Amino acid sequence: MASTQTDDYQAPTSDKSFDAALSDEDFDTLFEQAEELSEYFREIGPEYDKKNTFAFPTIEKYKATDLLALSIPKKFGGHGGSLLQTSKVVSELSKGDSAITLAYNMHYIMVGIAGGLMSDEQNEYWLGRVVKNKEIMFGPFSEKRAGFSGLADMKAIPQEGGGWKIYGTKTWGTLCDAASIITTNATITDKDGNLPDTFEERVAAESFFIADFEFDKDTLQGDGFHVERTWDSLGMHATGTHTIVFDGFFVPESGFICEWRSGAFGVLEWASLMFASIYLGMQSRVLEESIKVLSKKTLGAVFGATVASDVKVSGVGHIIDGVGDMASRYEICRRTLYRTCEEVTLGLDDNWPMELRFPYIGLAKTFIAENVMEMTKHAMSMVGGMSFRRGMIFERLYRDSAASLFQPLNGDQGRTYIGEYLLAPEELED
Amino acid sequence: MSDENAFKDADEVYKYIGGMFETATKTPAFIEETQGGNLVILIKQTKPDAAILVDFPNQTVVTGDEALAGKSTVQLRMSSDNANKFWQGKLNFTLAMAQRKVKLDGKRSVALKLLPLTEGLFDSYKQTLKDDGREDLLVA
Ligand SMILES: Cc1cc2nc3c(=O)[nH]c(=O)nc-3n(C[C@H](O)[C@H](O)[C@H](O)COP(=O)(O)OP(=O)(O)OC[C@H]3O[C@@H](n4cnc5c(N)ncnc54)[C@H](O)[C@@H]3O)c2cc1C
Repeated sequence: MASTQTDDYQAPTSDKSFDAALSDEDFDTLFEQAEELSEYFREIGPEYDKKNTFAFPTIEKYKATDLLALSIPKKFGGHGGSLLQTSKVVSELSKGDSAITLAYNMHYIMVGIAGGLMSDEQNEYWLGRVVKNKEIMFGPFSEKRAGFSGLADMKAIPQEGGGWKIYGTKTWGTLCDAASIITTNATITDKDGNLPDTFEERVAAESFFIADFEFDKDTLQGDGFHVERTWDSLGMHATGTHTIVFDGFFVPESGFICEWRSGAFGVLEWASLMFASIYLGMQSRVLEESIKVLSKKTLGAVFGATVASDVKVSGVGHIIDGVGDMASRYEICRRTLYRTCEEVTLGLDDNWPMELRFPYIGLAKTFIAENVMEMTKHAMSMVGGMSFRRGMIFERLYRDSAASLFQPLNGDQGRTYIGEYLLAPEELED
Repeated sequence: MSDENAFKDADEVYKYIGGMFETATKTPAFIEETQGGNLVILIKQTKPDAAILVDFPNQTVVTGDEALAGKSTVQLRMSSDNANKFWQGKLNFTLAMAQRKVKLDGKRSVALKLLPLTEGLFDSYKQTLKDDGREDLLVA
């Protein structure tokens, strides 16, 4: 189950987000913890989907495992899990509950992105806190105006004694209820808070920060920021994706990581594979639930497309084909994801034109997104009207799977990147 | 400088940008960083057209047709104006790539080896310009 590394494995040459030093044996132990935690997510997931809040009791359970440091390189005290190993854990958790997992997934994403960009000294401190204190990271970047591609309107105003005060609003604060470390982007302004005049200067001034994040869970007030419980969505209820309003949130100089666009782009492509892992786990769950229902369901006497005194749905042609189709989709998606993780780890992405690296890695996610949505829809049609009732796992997975349309890259953006590259003229733009 | 090109001809490009690489490839810090590796960059510039092949492991720099005939592992294309900015650390490379002002081809893992060298190259380039009294080429 847990075997992850191919024989010709070599340590990645360039990316330091993962060091892939976790043996299969040690991974098995961690994977067992993921299986247990996944069971727990499965038990309490429906309650928090209904309550529409973050699944607070999971914090303690998650912290009781060794999974927080799964992907942290060994030199910073972590387990050194590879991209594929991390992906497998995320999928396993998602099989239990996709919304709760989407929340904790932000921790893996930010540990990887920040870890890949921070200095050794910063990594020792921040990743050290994850390892030693079991602290959780999150990353609100998107703003109301635009998602990931939008330059941050959030301002970082330089302070006389050093550091910055942050002002602005982040509308997608997944995992804010569990995290004590924030990673985010803001544009450094002049001392009066004016954003740079030109586009080029804005790009250069947009920066990536890391800081402590603590707030009173009753008043929702923190030092220089407050949380607004705005999350109310079609699905993914238990992610607790709230709005965070910064109003003079202090970040010391030591919290500056790097320029956001030039630093982060190039080391965050793999993040789409973590989202893909969530939706793969969801595919596995919808297949499991469909088999469970469809293998037993009988219709009794029917007069319709099929006419008979008693009909077992498992004998109906389109249901047999449908289940086969779902299993095939899952298997192709699984291979796509695992192989993409391996190719990135082995550095085989080196063979792609550089401009295509981002969308090509992202293909695993967009492909899985299309398939998971098709599968949750098809499962509902096969299981029938009962699947539509609130509380049924199928309507839940149908709602949650729609979130796969978003997290970067989405299918449209990916295709635009690829098409633009292929159609680009030889001459440069000057 | 907006209407005119930074460099009047290819020879100027070779003198300053080529010259910077001549110095760099023979500097101990660069040698240590790149020896035994495969960082061989072909820099192709337009306005004026120029080509420079920088072979870090073999510590050689050749220009013009000889550069174009040589083998490289990374190819970098940009206008000479942008090259002048870039080698002074004044061009946001990621943005310039996204805007197709700069084109980088070859293996990403090899291209990434250039990154830790750029700071030193920027300093060396600016110094070369200053030493030659070419403050007009310095970008504020
Ligand atoms: C459940 C859930 C949890 C999330 N958690 C987080 C989180 O923790 N942190 C976080 O930062 N974000 C989070 N997000 C936000 C999410 O990832 C997106 O950033 C957000 O949905 C807005 O970005 P977008 O690209 O979807 O839309 P927009 O940026 O508003 O884009 C609108 C439209 O324009 C297109 N578009 C966008 N940019 C370009 C471009 N440059 N060129 C051409 N077309 C473009 C898009 O494809 C889309 O069709 C979360 C989203 C969901 C659904």
